[in-house]
Amino acid sequence: MPAIRNQIRELRALREMTQQDLADRVGVTRQTVIAIEQDKYSPSLETAFKVAIVLGVPLEQCFQYDPHGKR
Amino acid sequence: MATSLSYREKSLYASLAAEIVVYGPYFFLHQQNSVNKVAGMIIAIILLQTILQLAIVALTRNRMTDERDRVIELRGYRAGYLTIASLMVVGLAMLWFHAAVGHLQLENRMVGLHFLSVFFGMLVISDITKTATQLVAYRRAL
Repeated sequence: MPAIRNQIRELRALREMTQQDLADRVGVTRQTVIAIEQDKYSPSLETAFKVAIVLGVPLEQCFQYDPHGKR
Repeated sequence: MATSLSYREKSLYASLAAEIVVYGPYFFLHQQNSVNKVAGMIIAIILLQTILQLAIVALTRNRMTDERDRVIELRGYRAGYLTIASLMVVGLAMLWFHAAVGHLQLENRMVGLHFLSVFFGMLVISDITKTATQLVAYRRAL
C-alpha cells in the first residue's frame, strides 16, 4: 500500500467532475491528476490543498497518510 | 480511463527518436572518426529536433507543464549527470591505462579525433539516459 492514498476519484465522481475539469481548476495536467488518482504520484502540499479546495472537502478527507505504507 | 501522452512526454519521445536516428548510425556504422561527420551530426540533430518539436507544438493544444513534469525533469538530469560522471571516470581510467601501457599509438591529429569521438559519445549516452529516465518516470510511480 502506498504511504499517501487519496479519495480523489470518488470525490470527483460525486461532483460529476472530469479529470480535465479538476486539472484545469487545480492548475496541473490531466496526466498528473491520473497519476495522483492511481497513487503513482504524491502531489506537493500546495497542490494537495488546491485539490481539496476545488473538491470542497478538508485535506484529510481527500488525502490519507499511512505510516506503514511504502514510499 | 485513457492515459494520453502529455506535451512533455511527446516532446521527450521525439527527442529520443531524433537522437537514435542521428547518433545510432554514426556510432554503430561509421568506419573512421571524422570532424565533418561530427559536425554533420550536430547540424542534423539540431534540424531534426527543431522540425519535430515545432510539429509537436503545432499539434498539441494543451502545452501546460506542472510540478510533476519538473520533478521528472530533475530525476532525468540526475540520471544523466551520474552517467556522464561515471563515463568520465571510466574514460580517464582507460586513458591513463593506454598512456601507461603505450597502446595508444595514434598520430597527433588522430588523437584529437579519437577524444572528440569518445567525449561526444559520453555526452550522447548521458543525454539518451536522461531522456529515457524521464520517459520511464512518466510511466512509473514517483
